[in-house]
Amino acid sequence: MSRVVIVEIAFVAAAALLAFLVAFRAELTRVRGGKVLAFVALFILPLLAVWGGFSEHMERAQSTRFCLSCHVMEDYGRSLYIDDPSYVPARHFQNNFVPRDRACYTCHTDYTMFGGVKSKMRGVRHIWVYYLGKVPKPEDIKLYHPYNNRECFHCHLGARRYEEASEHHKQPDMLAKAASGELSCMSSNCHDIVHDVGTLKDATFWKESR
Amino acid sequence: MPTTLIERRISWAGVLIAGGLVIQLLTLLWTHPLAFVAFLLLGCPLVVFGILLFLYALVSHEPSGSSPAGPG
Repeated sequence: MSRVVIVEIAFVAAAALLAFLVAFRAELTRVRGGKVLAFVALFILPLLAVWGGFSEHMERAQSTRFCLSCHVMEDYGRSLYIDDPSYVPARHFQNNFVPRDRACYTCHTDYTMFGGVKSKMRGVRHIWVYYLGKVPKPEDIKLYHPYNNRECFHCHLGARRYEEASEHHKQPDMLAKAASGELSCMSSNCHDIVHDVGTLKDATFWKESR
Repeated sequence: MPTTLIERRISWAGVLIAGGLVIQLLTLLWTHPLAFVAFLLLGCPLVVFGILLFLYALVSHEPSGSSPAGPG
């Protein structure tokens, strides 16, 4: 548990104790000091606590651990350890091309103005389906939309390694077509091996596999 | 013990807020989607209702002995 979370928990606990105090000793508010105490305990501190809690939960919702805490996602977590560089997520994860503690979110959020909000809404829907709906098999889970090049370009666009890769010059206008979205990074037979959780039983895994 | 209406409302507001904060406290100890849902659907509404009740208690309170202001 990080120091920030410990401070946050202590703050929320103190705010709750003060609120309890005012709740059970409401006659304190008959004097000026009690009125100030009630205002702090029942308005200022709860607002700050909720804001802090919301911010912390939003942060946690981006963590790999959070995404993989649902049973149906376990195979997707394992696929990050496949010992085969042609698997795009595994290659990104194992080489730290994405931060490991937020690997899912880094690739599966939309890099648009409200992309983060949309991701959270999708997450809430996933929770709903997981607990109250019909959960699909891991291999039946599909993206809502074809993977957008924009998400790849968030990191790769302008990178020397991307621009100078010989595979990206097989056709003279390949980079331009990819930038315009005419050519998909994922579904143009280029980087089309992603999680493929249906094949995990035959796969070998990197040393950190668990 | 609270005797006046405003004190009873403040008391209830305190209970709601403290309850919401305790739920928030528990959710912070657990990194899981259900903790997020509990925070969003239980903790937050309790605190918000408590704050609104507290503000309502303040604005709806008429001090005893006050008389409506009038001309003259």
